[in-house]
Amino acid sequence: MKLAVCVKRVPDSEARIKIGADGKSIDETGVKFVLNPYDEYAVEEALKLKEASGAGEVVVISVGPDTAQETLRTALAMGADRGVLLKAGALPLDPLPVAQALAAELKDGGYDLVLFGKVAIDDSSHAVGVMVAELLGLPCVSAVAHLTIADGKGSGEREIEGGGEVVEFALPAVVTADKGLNEPRYPALRGIMMAKKKPLEVKDAGLGTGGLDVVSLAYPPERKAGRIVGEGADAVPALVDALKNEAKVL
Amino acid sequence: MANVLAVLEQRGGALKKVSSETLTVARRVADGLGGEVHALVIGGSGVSGEGAGTYGADRVLVASDDALALYQADRYAAAVAAQAGAAGYEVVVVAATAMGRDLAPRIAARLGCALAADVTDVRFDGGVIVTRPVYAGKATYTLKVTGSPSVISIRPNAVAAVPDERPGATDAVPVEAAEPKAKTVEIKQPEKAALDVAEATVVVAGGRGLKAPEHFQLLEDLAAALGGAVGASRAVVDAGWRPHAEQVGQTGKVVSPSLYFAVGISGAIQHLAGIRTAKTIVAINKDADAPIFKAADYGIVGDLFEVIPKLTEEIRKVREG
Amino acid sequence: MSGQAVPAGAQATLPRDRLIVAETPGEERIDLDVVFVGAGPAGLAGAIELARLVRGDNASGEGIGDVSIGVLEKAASLGEHNLSGAVVNPRAFHDLFPELKIEDFPFGQPVRQESLYFLSEHRARRLPMPPSMHNTGNHVASICEIVRWLGEKAQELGVDVFPGFPAGSLLTDERRVIGVRTVPSGLDRDGNPMATHMPAADIVAKVTALSEGTRGLLTQAYLDWQAIGAENPQVYALGVKELWELKQPLDRVIHTMGWPLPRDVFGGSFMYPLEPTVAALGLVVGLDYPYRDLDVHELLQRMKLHPLFRKYLTGGELIEWGAKTIPEGGYYALPARLSGDGIVLLGDAAGFVDVPSLKGIHYAMQSGIYAARAIFAGLKRGDTSAAALQEYDHLVHQSYIRDDLYRTRNVRLAFKDGFYKGGMKAGLMTVTGGRFPGKRIPMHRDADVARRPGGSVTVPAGDPLVISKLDAVFKAGNATRDDIPSHLLVGKDVTPEMAEFYTHLCPAGVYEVSDGKLVVNAPNCVDCKATDVVGPRWTPREGGAGPAYKRM
Repeated sequence: MKLAVCVKRVPDSEARIKIGADGKSIDETGVKFVLNPYDEYAVEEALKLKEASGAGEVVVISVGPDTAQETLRTALAMGADRGVLLKAGALPLDPLPVAQALAAELKDGGYDLVLFGKVAIDDSSHAVGVMVAELLGLPCVSAVAHLTIADGKGSGEREIEGGGEVVEFALPAVVTADKGLNEPRYPALRGIMMAKKKPLEVKDAGLGTGGLDVVSLAYPPERKAGRIVGEGADAVPALVDALKNEAKVL
Repeated sequence: MANVLAVLEQRGGALKKVSSETLTVARRVADGLGGEVHALVIGGSGVSGEGAGTYGADRVLVASDDALALYQADRYAAAVAAQAGAAGYEVVVVAATAMGRDLAPRIAARLGCALAADVTDVRFDGGVIVTRPVYAGKATYTLKVTGSPSVISIRPNAVAAVPDERPGATDAVPVEAAEPKAKTVEIKQPEKAALDVAEATVVVAGGRGLKAPEHFQLLEDLAAALGGAVGASRAVVDAGWRPHAEQVGQTGKVVSPSLYFAVGISGAIQHLAGIRTAKTIVAINKDADAPIFKAADYGIVGDLFEVIPKLTEEIRKVREG
Repeated sequence: MSGQAVPAGAQATLPRDRLIVAETPGEERIDLDVVFVGAGPAGLAGAIELARLVRGDNASGEGIGDVSIGVLEKAASLGEHNLSGAVVNPRAFHDLFPELKIEDFPFGQPVRQESLYFLSEHRARRLPMPPSMHNTGNHVASICEIVRWLGEKAQELGVDVFPGFPAGSLLTDERRVIGVRTVPSGLDRDGNPMATHMPAADIVAKVTALSEGTRGLLTQAYLDWQAIGAENPQVYALGVKELWELKQPLDRVIHTMGWPLPRDVFGGSFMYPLEPTVAALGLVVGLDYPYRDLDVHELLQRMKLHPLFRKYLTGGELIEWGAKTIPEGGYYALPARLSGDGIVLLGDAAGFVDVPSLKGIHYAMQSGIYAARAIFAGLKRGDTSAAALQEYDHLVHQSYIRDDLYRTRNVRLAFKDGFYKGGMKAGLMTVTGGRFPGKRIPMHRDADVARRPGGSVTVPAGDPLVISKLDAVFKAGNATRDDIPSHLLVGKDVTPEMAEFYTHLCPAGVYEVSDGKLVVNAPNCVDCKATDVVGPRWTPREGGAGPAYKRM
């Protein structure tokens, strides 16, 4: 099976976010960067599928700065076979240019299945994977929590409001992975050592600028000080009233 | 003419509550652009766009076909793209629900245009300006939409729906009957009706103040009255009273509900970190000095065993009335 | 005898058969030429120096060839388990990178002014600074930043750095050390493998360099196995540290003694400006304090409310918290030998810390450099036996490491008799350059010191400058999974008295007493090792567990 996984380098979810001097981007000093957690599910799924089919290749692709090579090496250490970095400076917030660059890279790769994480934890667009599928004219199931592939066909399970749905498709296809799809393996020592020797190609991404301009990046507004509505059960009517008419959450 | 297309969601043939928010946003943008709001409702035969006019739709386009009764990504995306492409809308607005998050990128890809996804506010100021939380809510972008056309997806519960009575004249639009590339073949009912605490819009969480695992029944009753999920502090999960899946904070989940109740929870910072992006936090604790009160929007100092049953009762009244 | 508890009586013994393993390496095996255990300043400096020597040798013609060097680190990322004051002497950096200038090194600002105070509850009296404490030419630094910087340099030189891989055992072939075995991961509370289980891996190497830091587990096991003693037992202090963003800039290095410590307790505090508005603040207390209820974290919280500190901290924000022990035994606690067949002992693990000047980082790096030179010479000759690696011992003992530690050999030990007597003796030692009192002052192990009720401090609740242990653990970046197996070995006879002692001892709130019984919240542990010195024994957990320091 020929599999591709698109991955992203993102700040660790525990990272303290500091806004840079330009007021439009984050200050990256001292920030720990990791492989996007949702992409780990995608990489793991690709590795499992390759192992189950007995033969094949898992290629990991990323659009990002030079340091994204480390992110690709993490995926290689997990067991992917080769990596491709589409080098770009700051990524635009508009997902379309990134999707276009990835689609161009994937187009002639002859992949049976392309996997993404359902969302990147930095910009939360939930968009790139699905966009790439549309640009390539491929079937796509997003936010898959369970996946079966057999005989050139696939079936993905995803959560919908009030339950789940099962979606079937023919290969080649694109899926985006949700939490719970699998348990991603940690790279073993040997995997880390071998990753250094696996091929990693670096090319220019040639990204467009997209249709969203950053006006500013700011910290969220401070929460307004709350108030104690009263004491004991007698205060309940006042609370319900505040929730209904003030906060408007009821 | 710079018109705005609002893609609405329906359930069982009638518009869902979130659609009024989509329309409010579309109306703001259209007023800024000096154009109209056209609502697009996609569904099975008998689907109605009734009520769309109340929230600002000048026209309501109904794409109705048995094959569209349930969301099928390819078919819905095709219906929207056909409409948007044909009539040349400047902006397409979608709610960033589970369905919208799947649909919006497909529309943008088919139109080859910019996507401002998962925004929490939209305004018009010489152009369309959107607000977008990032890094799990630790920072917020203000972005100007320069792409034309563009797709915007708005988070549910972020913008209050504003009634703005408009004609809302209904028109049927033709539906393409193409075979979807990925096809839903089965709908599964959930095994347990329990809502995931990380996805719920209302969470009722309990801590050591509950004193014993069986007392969590009080919170389950309140959660049921609110249509929400039960959450738990690390202390009670460690004690084995509640499953790890319900833990909020630290190694548990980060939750972003509209309404969060912290009952008998003192407010250690790992818990607070897990509820930072909740919109409204209510604390119920008998210790007036508990740190949770500093983080809460509203609080009641009192015995939770008296307060919670009363609260459940009042909530039920509100829900029914 | 009630009222007096001796920690040693309640401690478990480390399981030697788990720590020194004489087995053929298993299937999960990698072979390296040299492995450094611990990616701190000592291990990384050693790896860098060794890689440079190899590179230089190969460039010159008849080269040694490929030498594979690996550094194991238990934290998920470099720097996350490192913590120090720190004011750094750059000399080891210059030795390691002769081509670089001071501005190239990963330091904060240089030390411009310093003050030493003797505190009482409401006042701060300036004291003259002892010459050993002067820091001209030194820089305030974050050891996390130093480690990340060294890590990059090491990787540029082809060194393999493996974060997330703690070493749990020394592998031997009965006589010599042949490598280390890592700790398996993905076990549940009862020790059963979960889906994420990864078995232990064996790293087989010609030389194993133990750079585990303070109270290193494998270092202790090796010294015990080989019956290597020292003239005095190693003794430790516990440091609890916070990193603050200040509204009020700090323009000087500050050290204090006296309040809030009782008179018969050794210790003091520091406050260092990493930047004018970013300060490292901490309290260091010798673990031989005679009290059951003394709590270093709580003492630090109380100390911050003193007008001297309150002035700088008000309006500021606590951004990180952490804790770590420091080996304080000095010259007389150094092991009789620092190397053996296939093994060398580096840095804090060996005890290269100078207490009066509060320095250890440059000694650690320098020891790594010397080890690299000895290892390189041995590899070149194909001989990594004790005889060959003894070159490391020679290099250390002929160096300023030995000279500095020898000069201050009795200063800390003098304080075991209390502050005033100790202070006088220490003063005399300094003035005579160590010639008084000359002879070694014997020292007890910390665990042999009896603890009597007392020594507690009350901290006013609700003050914005104060942080609870529970919240502090969060600020240490600790996100250890809640169902991890407990890594702490509790002794058999833990009395309620002793349990009480543990709850105050541990800065991270690992120990609690419930109904007179000891409760162990193992996931809270930040690997400071205080517990290992006087309480339940510490063993390594799966990689990544513990704190995640960013700029400590």
